[in-house]
Amino acid sequence: MRQMFSIAVIVCMLTLSGCGYNTLQETDEQIKASWAEVLNQYKRRADLVPNLVSTVKGFAAQEKDVLLGVTNARSKVGSVQATPELINDANAFSKFQQAQGELSSALSRLLMVTENYPELKSDANFRDLQAQLEGTENRITVARNRYIKAVQAYNIVVRSFPSNLTAMLFGYQTKPSFSVENEQEISSAPKVDFGTSEATGK
Amino acid sequence: MPELNRFIAPALLWVCLFLTCWMPAIPAVQAEVAVPPLKKHVTDLTATLAASELAQLEQKLAAFEQAKGSQIAVLLVSTTQPETIEQYAMRVAEAWKLGRKGVDDGILLLIAKNDRALRIEVGYGLEGAVPDAKAKRIIAEIITPSFKQGHFVAGIDAGIDALIKLINGEPLPVSRVKPADDTQSNLDNFVSILIFSVILGRVLQVFLGRLIGSGVTGIGLGLVGWMIFSSVAIAMLIAIAAFILNLFLNASTGVYRGSRGWTGHDYRHGGFSGGGFGGGGGGFGGGGASGRW
Repeated sequence: MRQMFSIAVIVCMLTLSGCGYNTLQETDEQIKASWAEVLNQYKRRADLVPNLVSTVKGFAAQEKDVLLGVTNARSKVGSVQATPELINDANAFSKFQQAQGELSSALSRLLMVTENYPELKSDANFRDLQAQLEGTENRITVARNRYIKAVQAYNIVVRSFPSNLTAMLFGYQTKPSFSVENEQEISSAPKVDFGTSEATGK
Repeated sequence: MPELNRFIAPALLWVCLFLTCWMPAIPAVQAEVAVPPLKKHVTDLTATLAASELAQLEQKLAAFEQAKGSQIAVLLVSTTQPETIEQYAMRVAEAWKLGRKGVDDGILLLIAKNDRALRIEVGYGLEGAVPDAKAKRIIAEIITPSFKQGHFVAGIDAGIDALIKLINGEPLPVSRVKPADDTQSNLDNFVSILIFSVILGRVLQVFLGRLIGSGVTGIGLGLVGWMIFSSVAIAMLIAIAAFILNLFLNASTGVYRGSRGWTGHDYRHGGFSGGGFGGGGGGFGGGGASGRW
């Protein structure tokens, strides 16, 4: 009977210690990888901006406000330190999100304005840049979705029993995801800007 | 046998607890257009293409895959609503895993006929050969002009030719050696360890008695599993499975069924094996271009 008990205890300990720690490591690494991809794609977008601005300038130099808006948003994005550690700092994370969101709306304002310039729209260079920008925006969406999924998997491990004990013991905390407010801000911004850019553009 | 019952109850309880610990989170299912299974290079759900046209496209793409190794697949659906074509294309790409594993040289040409939209989704490995701007040009200058006139086959055919030309300009690994499928070999390892455990368990049970013999077998195989998989999680799984198996199962026919129950996943996806067509395990990151007509 005592042997049985001791075996049961050993089995319990083994299974419990197996419950969580490795999963924590795996999901944590997954987050890091997917976050690196998010940063990568945001950087790719930021790198496209100077080229895009100068191309648009060649055809629509009078759209100073819009062009300036994009340039400012671009430099603001550049000023936010995009480090992998960003995901551990909720404050810096939301700041980063805000800066990227502003660049998103500035860029969509710019593309909206270009609709008024047929010559620009038929310019091969501009069309290529536009295709690249579209592709990059899509990559950003994919990378963000994968990051959200990775964070979800990790947060579930951190919160659910018994791995939450392991997480508590080793100091793993839940990580921020792209929140609903941010999503709304980003997705609704172009619509708001549509009105204003129409008003200023004409 | 009251003593055995006293043991079985906590053991079963623990198995339940154990399973709840390891149960993967089930993703929520939404009402979206389903991704059709990948059986051929060209999948037409809209009955737009005639059988002869399908066969011709199929042959071209199969020959290209034979020669270059890259996988191009065409999918015609009537609509992708409520998703955008980009979202749906990504789901298809993730499900089909076109392109070779590690090379990621797959391309999906998705046409949503009633939405009058199409997309070229480019795998990671071909983003250099088919950059977004080139994909956009193929759509805008080659495919959509035909689509506007209702010539679907001509548009698809010309688009594929353009893609093939671009990919042929890219140096890719020639060999079509099937990459080792890790999950499959892991499963094989797992099964063979369990079979071995029954044999070992029998021997140990003779010397140490039923319970201790099973316990020692479980712990021993857990250690072996730990070394093979370098994962404590799988080692635990093996240890428990071996312990329970030896304790309660006497017929070795129960072994395979038992292991199925533990893993509970369908490990077979994609791959070149079996002669049929399937995705090779390529990855996609959202590159490519979309267009409308």
